[in-house]
Formats: sequence, structure tokens, C-alpha cells
Amino acid sequence: MSDRRRGDAPGLSTTVAHRSGFARLLRAEWTKFRTVRGWVLAMAAAALVTVLLGLLSASGSHTSCGGACPAVPVGPGGEAVEDKFYFVHRPLNGDGSITVRVTSMTGQIRLPDLTPTPTPGTRRVVSGLVPWAKAGVMIKESMKQGSTYAAVMVTGAHGVRMQHDFTQDVAGRPGGVSQRSPRWLRLTRSGEDLTGYESTDGRQWTRVGTAHLAGLPDAVQVGLFAASPGDLTVTPGDFGGSSAASRFAEATAVFDQVSLEGSVADGVWRPDDVGVTLDPDGSAHHPGGFKESGDTYTVAGVGDIAPLSDGPQIENTLTGLLTGLIVVIVVAVMFITTEYRRGLIRTTLLAGPRRGRTLVAKALAIGAVTFVTGLAAATAAVTLGKGILVANGNYVLPVAPFTELRVIAGTAALLAAAAVLALAVGTLFRRSVAAVITAIVLIVVPYILATASVLPAGAAQWLMRLTPAAGFAIQQSIPAYAHVLGNYTPSGGYYPLAPWAGLAVLCGYAVLALGLAVFQLRRRDA
Amino acid sequence: MRATIEVAGLRKRFGQTMALDGMSFTVEPGQVTGFVGPNGAGKSTTMRVILGLDAADEGTALVGGRPYTGLRDPLRHVGALLDAAALQPSRTGRNHLLWLAHSQGLGARRVDEVIERVGLGPAAGRRAGGFSLGMRQRLGIAAALLGDPPVLMLDEPSNGLDPEGIVWMRGFLRALAAQGRAVLVSSHLMSELEDTADHLVVVGRGRVVADTSVAGLIAAASTGRVALRTTAPAEAMAALAHAGAAVAATGRDTLTVTGLAAEHVVAVLNRSAVPFSEVSAHRATLEEAYMELTRDAVEFRAAGQEAAR
Amino acid sequence: MRRHLQAEWTKLRTVAGTGWLLLGLVALTVAVSVVAAAAVSCTSAGCAYDPAKISLFGVQVGQAMAAILAVLAISGEYSTGMIRTTLVAMPRRATVLAAKAAVVTGLTLAAGTVAVLASLLVGRRILLENGFTRGPGTLMLSLFEGPMLRAAFGSVLYLALIALLSLGIAAAVRDSATAIGVVLGLLYVLSILPFMIADPGWQKLLWQLSPMNAGLAIQATTHLSTLPLSPWAGLGVLALWSAAALLGGGLSLRLRDA
Repeated sequence: MSDRRRGDAPGLSTTVAHRSGFARLLRAEWTKFRTVRGWVLAMAAAALVTVLLGLLSASGSHTSCGGACPAVPVGPGGEAVEDKFYFVHRPLNGDGSITVRVTSMTGQIRLPDLTPTPTPGTRRVVSGLVPWAKAGVMIKESMKQGSTYAAVMVTGAHGVRMQHDFTQDVAGRPGGVSQRSPRWLRLTRSGEDLTGYESTDGRQWTRVGTAHLAGLPDAVQVGLFAASPGDLTVTPGDFGGSSAASRFAEATAVFDQVSLEGSVADGVWRPDDVGVTLDPDGSAHHPGGFKESGDTYTVAGVGDIAPLSDGPQIENTLTGLLTGLIVVIVVAVMFITTEYRRGLIRTTLLAGPRRGRTLVAKALAIGAVTFVTGLAAATAAVTLGKGILVANGNYVLPVAPFTELRVIAGTAALLAAAAVLALAVGTLFRRSVAAVITAIVLIVVPYILATASVLPAGAAQWLMRLTPAAGFAIQQSIPAYAHVLGNYTPSGGYYPLAPWAGLAVLCGYAVLALGLAVFQLRRRDA
Repeated sequence: MRATIEVAGLRKRFGQTMALDGMSFTVEPGQVTGFVGPNGAGKSTTMRVILGLDAADEGTALVGGRPYTGLRDPLRHVGALLDAAALQPSRTGRNHLLWLAHSQGLGARRVDEVIERVGLGPAAGRRAGGFSLGMRQRLGIAAALLGDPPVLMLDEPSNGLDPEGIVWMRGFLRALAAQGRAVLVSSHLMSELEDTADHLVVVGRGRVVADTSVAGLIAAASTGRVALRTTAPAEAMAALAHAGAAVAATGRDTLTVTGLAAEHVVAVLNRSAVPFSEVSAHRATLEEAYMELTRDAVEFRAAGQEAAR
Repeated sequence: MRRHLQAEWTKLRTVAGTGWLLLGLVALTVAVSVVAAAAVSCTSAGCAYDPAKISLFGVQVGQAMAAILAVLAISGEYSTGMIRTTLVAMPRRATVLAAKAAVVTGLTLAAGTVAVLASLLVGRRILLENGFTRGPGTLMLSLFEGPMLRAAFGSVLYLALIALLSLGIAAAVRDSATAIGVVLGLLYVLSILPFMIADPGWQKLLWQLSPMNAGLAIQATTHLSTLPLSPWAGLGVLALWSAAALLGGGLSLRLRDA
């Protein structure tokens, strides 16, 4: 016993030694990996199949607009936006404010056609407002689509809001407007800061929020606006999954007691149907409208002022990942189970008797190999796939460089974490079949059930929260906006967890499994 | 570090069976220690406990005064050959040694040295899956020698070797011991160790039944037995039994006598006028000595063998 | 052949995993079906879901168990080297594979029947409690009505075909981890590929080729006209996959050294 104590004498030298010892274990595991040709080839195949399937899916996606597609406006934050509304405006120089009373907000919605259609061409149009129909006051840099703005508005079902620069939204008081309970709205400009207020009586004002619009020029446009996004219907797909369709909707608001302060040019209001779509004959498709009678103004608008969440996204080029993932899982499982099958694990444990460190070294080795492979594959798939999508006439929703980097590196991290999880499961089971199945059922199957089955959206979202498949959230490049109605379901490419949170769930599973594996490896006789 | 293996009071139970039941012994440097016992006596389990692969319920096993799992770069302290088939078949022999070398901070040069040393030569570049049993055994020895360790442990190293290989192995082990290393070699065949081992640890039923030099073991087993060749075995048996000896027939005209010294046997036979052609004090073979020791310790013996005796 | 069958049956029967896998097949299928049925709720506008698909949803997960059973039946022998013993005892390799196929199919059919019936019975109850109706006014399909019966019977066949597909692949690939990876990749990944490709032509073709999508068409009882393949044609696609896999596996078993 005294001998043993002497052997375990602690000290700085031993810690240093341990670290270098770990590096050796890591190197040994790397040597082990690279000297089995099948594994190296399988990893290369995983990368290749990820890229090729991604490119295949990209080349299967075409868009044509009969000529050049109209340019998609881009908001101040660099995101693609829809900037389509009816704006009744005047120029404003320097500081100032606009105050209005909204006395009514109504609208109409076209419902899905009945099947079979009773008489061709019949449209079922009912009166009503979609939840995010909006009307109110706005100060905007210019009439150019995508330019910076701030607005205070009443909405169809979400009360008073202050929004700016498409992505920002602050809630005011809930409730709608009517003749009996009108709403006063006020927007004040002071330099680059715009502050929104609301009131129920025109005397007691409540601040809703303040927006800082960087680089707002001296001369801006101020006025009244109305817009209504289409009515969204999500239907479960025939083969599973879901598809979303948007139908025409319009909002009409009545304003009175309009007052302007500041250096506003005298004269008339200028109505503009911002971003209106033109039919081939040159007439406006679903035009808005403006009526002025006395000091009452009626503004009707179609469209939305919001970030775009629909359309090809950079992660669409990563469809091959699932196949690559399965290959990675198989290799990672075999990295440990072949050792058990041949008794090689004993040799490994003779060389590295501190079992926890040995297994962690193994996990790091397979994780690093997978990460590098995944990084190469994801970079190629996204870069080339985006090129193909654009060449096919598609508009790929633009994202910030950091987001693109996150999607690519996150995909690699997703693969690496899955590999570590698979390795840990392999250590726990010691049998390759059980381990491969378990890893696939944990990581791949929930994703497939959530995105491509007849499972309802709620269940799908829980799958993407609770299972290791949550890690796929790291691939979502366009966030779900609470103030834009969208098909925010896993089948639509939107996950319930934030990207890093999703990846953290997967990593949590991997760490937990690795911990269990270390515990078991230490407890069991080899 | 002292080049020793010290095992003290190891106990380990697998369910109902007591695999190790107070196993204690020490392996000294500079000699080959044979670790013998019938199948299931606990040899492999002891080796695995020494190497930290299995955990003992009780007792300690130290290598150079330290538990194996506390060793830094353990292969530089102990080289072990447990199961030559413990390989990944798709990796080449050389690459198998290479990853092991990397785990101990050794380079490729050392790998080529040990490949040369065990005579694996160009075969090392081939997939280990295609190796013959003998080549695998050599690869296993190479792995054990990789760290140039002062202590070596080999589990049944002659398994699968051809006669030439066995001779090579014998010389190899002796040379390693001559360099001052402690060499522990297990076997279930005593004959295999006869020309190799200097010292023997004989085990049975999970404990040491003899811990002695080879010469000492033979001497102990030889005492008090006299071989007798006679044309009248029945008369000889009767006469000797009457004189108080235990007699067993070992052949048509040969008897083994215990309980009487050779000169007394001659006297008794002369007195009874029994003819005999040869009386000799018996010198036991190592095999016999071993059988003697492990008779009670054998756990499994075929029923046919039992009946033949 | 009878001796082959008997031998393979004894082999499979005496491996501890078999019972657990069959139990797992039943348990997973029923459990996942129940969860899926409980997760579906109907709006006042009616139910957009196919009651048969929902209450047999667990088959999509349970099939993994059938796949393992089949893969292990052959790659388990390769990993231990027992395949050599088998082939020494029964040198007619094609017959060995046929016997294995028969035994695995039989077991899968038995477990599949239990799993499918239990899923349907339990699933139906839950769906009815959730206010499930087939379109406005009409009651949900009864268990023994034509389409529902076809979905049930077809699902059992589906499971057996999946087992055969897996057996064939395992015979060709030999290594168990690789075999199971290939099988699950073929099933799950190919099933999701159509959803990732925007082009409708490609989408339809991939859907028709995917063994899982096509094979599970047998479960459809609503919107039949919108399916890219009719239910039986879909199951036929899977049968072709299985036949091809068995043929490939059989050839590999015969032509390659064991």
C-alpha cells in the first residue's frame, strides 16, 4: 500500500505529464483511424454524398418569371424583405411628428376555392382582417423599397405595435379599433431617434417604443399607411409534410384628426402604392387606394412590410447531410465496436489504462475527423449549391456572412457531435448493430418524422426540442419572426429551438452519453 | 523502478465461481517465471488484474511497486501479450504497432526496430487479418517489446507456433531474462516451460499451490518413490505390501513403490526371494511433479480420462 | 430444405436477442402509433389526416426492429465466424439463405400481425375520442372495411418485406454495422429525399423509388388519387427492392469466399 501511495504522489510535473500523455493518446487514436482504409474511404464518401445530393437537389430547383425576375428588396439589416404597402405621404425635413386618430380598420380575405368549384371564376371573398394586417403612421427614409423606417400601427389581432426596419417589433396595448373605441397614434422624430406613442383619448399618451434609425437623412417621408399580408393556410401534404399557401387579403383604415409638426411642406398628400405588382397589361394587380373627404382619410393597402421568410435558403443545399450523417454514425460506432469484437480494446487499455482519458481521446479523434470532413463538405455544398440555385433563376434569401459561417460550421459541429454520440452509444452497447440502430433512431429518425411525415406540427416541434435531432436547428438561416405569419414548422425548415440552443441539446446528449460510456468502461472488466 | 510483479491476496468472484482465491506471488527480475496451472486455474484472470483490465474484489497487484493504471506510458514499464488475435484485420501489422507507439510517445523508428527484432520483416506491411497464427504471435511479441519494458508478461506465447517458432520463442524469452528483465510466462503445459523457466508459480483453483525453483519442484516430487522391474509383480506386491509400502502397478512388469527407501525394497525382495531386474530411486519429470501438485486443483476433467485412471 | 429450416429456426430461437427484438417490434410499433394518434387533433373543419396512416404510424419506427432481426440473422454469423460452421454443415448456400429468409419472414409476420392489430385497435379508440371523423358527417372507417383491412394486411406484409430487404443487404455487405447503416439509409433517407427537392418531376420519381414511401402507400385510405402510386403498386416497388436485395445477397453468398 505504501508503494501505491508513492506512485500517486501529486505535483505539477504529473499534471504536465498527464497532458502530454493525453496528446499521445489522441495521436494514437488518430493513427488508428487513418490506418483503416475503409474508414477513411467511408468518411470521404460521406462528404462526397453530402455534396452531391445537395447539388442534385439544388439543380432540381428552378424558378422562372417570364423574363427577368423582379429584384427583391433588401432591408437595412441585409435581409430580404417584402416592402409593399399603400403610403400616403409628405416630405419632412428635420425633426417633427405626426399624430392621427384611427377610427376604423376593416378588410377582406379571399378564402380557399371550394372543390369542386361551383362556377369557374367564383371567388369566396369574405370581410375580415388577417392577424397581422396593419395600418398607422410611418416615417420612412425614402420611397425606395427596403429603406429604413419606423411605424406605429394598429393590427388585425395583435393590438398596437411599433415596428421598424422590418425585423423589429414592439407590442403596445392589445385590442382592435372601432368607431366607439378609436386609437390615437403618434410618431415623433428627433434626429435619428423615432418614438412611438399611443392613446385612447388623445390626451393621455403612452410611449410604445423608440427606434434608432442609423443614417436617417434629414429629408424623410412621413404619412399614413395600410398593408395586409396574405391569408396563410398550411395544409398537410399528401405524402406527409406540409405546404403553405397564401391568399389575397386587404386592409382598409380610416384616419382623422391628422396633425403634423415640424418642417412639413404645405400642399397635398401624395398617395403611392409602394411595390405594387403590375399585371402584363401594366395595370396594378390588387391595387390599394386612398380617399380624402374633409379631414377624414381612408387608406386601403395590400402587402406587407416584413422580412421574407419564404424561398430557397442556403441550408436547402445541405439536403445530402442525412445520408452523410448515417455514414458518419456507422463509422463512429465501428471505431469502438471493432475493438470489442476482436479484443483490441484490451490492447488499447493496456496502452492507456486511464480509461476515461482513453475514451475521451477516442471521442475527440473521431469528433475532429468528422468536423473537418463536415466542414469541407458543408462549405462545398453551400457554395456550389448556392451557385446552382442562382443559376437556375432562384432567389436565395440572403444572410449575413456570420450566419452563413454558422450554418456551415454548425453543420460540421452537428456531424461531429453525432459522431461522438454514436461512439459513446457504441461503447455502451459494444455491439455495432444495436449501437448503429440506437444512434440512428436517436438522431436521424426524429428529424425525418418531424419534417417528412404526417405527424402534426405540435408533435414535430416537440421532437425537435427533446431529441438529439434538435441539433438540426443550427442549419436554420432565416429566423422565425413572431410578427410575420409563416409556416414555422420543422417541415417548413423552421425549428422550435434557437440554432445554438438546438445544437446545445445535441451536444448535451453527446456529453451525457460519453459520460455514461466512461462510467461503464471504468466499471466493467475489459 | 524495480522490475518486479507483486501480487498479494487477490480475490475475484464471477457469480458462483471463485476465480481468484487469495492469489499471492512475486516475479523477480533476471529470470523467466513460469505461471502454470490447469485451464480455469485463474492464470489469465490474474494477468488481467495485474494489467488493470479486470478489477479484483480484494488484494493488490503492483508492477514495479505501482498499480498498472497509475503508470505513465505503461508500455514502457510492462509489455504484455494476452491475445494475439486482438487486432483489427483491416489494419497492417506495422500500423497496428504504429498507433501503439504513438500512444506511448514513441516514433516509427522504434516500430521498425521491433519488427526487425521479432523477425516479422516485410510481412508487417500486410493486413494483419491475413496473418497466420504464428505471425500474429510475433506481432504480439513486437507490441510487448515496443516500450523496451523491464517487465514482460506473456499469456501462452507458444500457442499456434510451429516447432521452429517454439524454439525461437524459448531462446527469445531466455535472452530477455538475461538482460535483467522480469519475465512472466503462463502456460497450461508444464513441458513447454521445462527448458524455459527458472522459477515456477503453480496455481490451481485461484490460488498458488507452489512457488519454487524448477529444480526444487522436481526434487520435492521425486522423494520416496522407487521404480521396480520384476518378472513376478504379484509376489513383489504382496511382499512389499506386507512390509508396509504402497505399491502401484505402472506397467506389465513395472511397479512403483512408495513408503520404503530403495535399499529397504531390495532387502525385502531378497528376503522373500522375489526375482527383480531393476530397482531405482525414481526422479520425477517436471510434468509428473506438476500433475502431483495440481491433482486436486483440476476443475474439469473429462469423464473418459477419469475412468482410464 | 426442411432440415435447413429447422436448423435456422433453432439458431434464431436460441439467440437471446430474437425475443427482445420481436417484443421491441410490437412495443415500438404500438407505442409510437398511440403517441401519433394522441397527437392528432381535429378542427371543426374536419380532419385532414388519414386514420389508417396515423394509427399505423408506429410501423415506421417498428420496421427498424424487423431490419435488425434480419441483419443479425446473417451478419451475426459473419462477425463470429460461425458462418463457416454453417456452410460446412449446409454447403448449399442458396438454400441456407432461403431458409433464413423463411424463418425471418415467419417471425416478422407473426410479430407484425400482433403489432398492427394492437396499433389499429388502440389507435382507433384514441382517434375516435379525439373527435376523428372521415370528412364531415361520416364515421371513421371501420376496422374491417376494405381499405382499412388492406392497410392492416399490407402493413404486416410491409414489415416482412423490410425484413427480406435487410436480409439480402446483410448477405451482400456482411458487416453488421454497415448493413444496418445501408438498410436504414435506404429506408429513411430515401424517404425524405423527395421533400428536399423542389422539382415536382424529380420529387415524384424519388417518391416512387423510395422503398419506404412507396411501400407505406399500402396504408393510405384517403386522398388515394393524389398518391404517386396506388397502394398495391407501392408495395410492389418495395417487393422489387427486396427481391433485388435477396438476389444480390444470394449471389454474393454463393460467389464470394465465406
